[in-house]
Amino acid sequence: MNTNNNVYTIIYTTLIVVVVAALLAFVSQSLKGKQDANEKADTISQMLTAAQFGTKAEFQKAGNAAVLAKYADEIGQAFTVNLNGEKVQDLDLTKVYSPKELKRQNYNIKGGSNKTGEPEIPVFVFKNGKTVVPIYGAGLWGPVWGYIAFEKDLKTIAGAYFDHESETAGLGAKIKDDPAFQAEFIGEKPDFAQANVFDIVKGGSPKEGDTEIKDNKIDAITGATMTSQGLDTAIDTWLGAYAKYFQGQQAACDKPCCEGEEQNCKEEE
Amino acid sequence: MEYLSLFVKSIFVDNMIFAYFLGMCSFLAVSKNVKTAAGLGLAVIAVLLITLPVNYLLNTYVLAPDALIEGVDLSFLSFIVFIAVIAAIVQVVEMVVEKFSPELYSSLGIFLPLIAVNCAILGGSLFMQQKDFLNIGEAVVYSLGSGIGWFLAIVSLAAIREKMAYSNVPAALKGLGITFITVGLMGIAFMTFMGISL
Amino acid sequence: MDAKLKETILNPIFKGNPITVLVLGICSSLAVTVTMKGALVMALSVIVVTGISSLILSLLRNTIPGRVRIIVQLVVVAMMVILVDQILKSFEATYAIDKQLSVYIGLIITNCIVMGRIEAFALGNKPWPSFLDGVANGAGYGMILLIVAFFRELLGSGTLFGIDILNRFGYVPNNLVILPPFALILLGCIVWVQRSIQKDLQEK
Repeated sequence: MNTNNNVYTIIYTTLIVVVVAALLAFVSQSLKGKQDANEKADTISQMLTAAQFGTKAEFQKAGNAAVLAKYADEIGQAFTVNLNGEKVQDLDLTKVYSPKELKRQNYNIKGGSNKTGEPEIPVFVFKNGKTVVPIYGAGLWGPVWGYIAFEKDLKTIAGAYFDHESETAGLGAKIKDDPAFQAEFIGEKPDFAQANVFDIVKGGSPKEGDTEIKDNKIDAITGATMTSQGLDTAIDTWLGAYAKYFQGQQAACDKPCCEGEEQNCKEEE
Repeated sequence: MEYLSLFVKSIFVDNMIFAYFLGMCSFLAVSKNVKTAAGLGLAVIAVLLITLPVNYLLNTYVLAPDALIEGVDLSFLSFIVFIAVIAAIVQVVEMVVEKFSPELYSSLGIFLPLIAVNCAILGGSLFMQQKDFLNIGEAVVYSLGSGIGWFLAIVSLAAIREKMAYSNVPAALKGLGITFITVGLMGIAFMTFMGISL
Repeated sequence: MDAKLKETILNPIFKGNPITVLVLGICSSLAVTVTMKGALVMALSVIVVTGISSLILSLLRNTIPGRVRIIVQLVVVAMMVILVDQILKSFEATYAIDKQLSVYIGLIITNCIVMGRIEAFALGNKPWPSFLDGVANGAGYGMILLIVAFFRELLGSGTLFGIDILNRFGYVPNNLVILPPFALILLGCIVWVQRSIQKDLQEK
């Protein structure tokens, strides 16, 4: 058979492309439900990890059903806010934001031609008073995202968990794999009054003899400059978008009522 | 982003070879003399310059969520589409080179088809997806810059290797061994560009 | 097993090693050799992908039109990798494994070893030898990966597979070692050792 014939070449290529596209589309569509369920459980376990309910490995062992049950037990309220810090709408308590939805909101925050609407970003408040918000941005090779949990005072970071699509194993991937890096966030106080809310820089952690206050700074990851910068920008962008909400809540909470339920806080206000 | 700073940045700061270490296989194998190296470098510029904008358009108007039909997300196809576009364009470039410069064709050997799997090319498209360029102009400038960066890198390595042929290198280290080490040292030197913001 | 098959298997491991002799697959060997774990995952994936895609394309070899062979090869390889990714992603038990692997998917598809072996071997040989050639090349590649990763993780982080080895003795990890240029310098040294033993590989 003459395989260099033009007609044969065209038919062969078309056939291969159609078969491959159909196969991939079929597999992707038929498995989508299962994949989404896995992704949702993974997202929830990340939020729970950030809020210090356990470690990621523990949640992984417990399985999807246990993670969903734990979340249903702990979540208090979930709602979205806009850039002015005003509440837009309540969210269903089983609803979480997948990385894809975070990406869309990320475009909305940054503006530009990819913008699809006004930013509407989620806030998750747990029954124990901790508030968890997502962040999203670009790392070196692909997107990085994660969750930052705040204490009841909404000033102090209670924990953080980050994930990524394809950062270099052993370097940029440390944002996800290195619990020590995530632990550095605990106790930090982001400065919501500035555009530069938080810094991940070389020499960011406090050392002996330091005069500068480094409450909103932590150390970058050695050898992963681009990933660290990307994560820094992601945190600045997203916490910046939440700034008005956080400042409003902080002001309300500076009154003595803060020890009680957040709901009381608002009533006295 | 301004075109000029994007251009300079993609040549030096985001150099495909020395900052991201992409496209190393053909970079190491086809850098024995300046003439062949320049030929491959031009081929890479050409392929990048065509594939990146094409992939940009496909990514924006076909693959992105809701781009083609409301509610349909084809982004799971992006890898295979990018690869297919690159392979098709490489095949065309291969035919053109074979026709107009058989000499270059024979010296590039197996590495011409391998441009298709040159990570610098696919990397360019993936970075494009990552960087959220605002319009096709930025995509074109970026592709041209990264191509030129790759070209400069391979030509300068070829120049060093031509000189090195006259140096007294231990027999077992000659050729490939010393080239690896040279590239490593060049990479360390290039790290001075890192962190410069334009 | 006849001598030719044996040669097909043994040659890529040392004498015709894809990285140090054929200069294929360098990019990924720089990216994944910071930790032993990453190197091992990548090595196993490449063995599987090179083996199976060589097998499939060798079966198709008489039907592929010469002028579009690269597209056909890449589409088949990419399809296989994406399929495996999609399937692993949909089971609860394998979801975590897939998240680890998905980082390497781009690197596996564009790994020149896969394409290089298909071009140079699978398109001209019967399926069974092609499969063996693919697996053996993956193994030869994996071996170099693990050697480089051993030194980079030990000297760069003081650990092996994440387990502390040197740090307990007060070793300060050398940050230069985890940067990509150092992997190149290490590869240079491996080539040096190999060619000192195998003098016929030396270049004039």
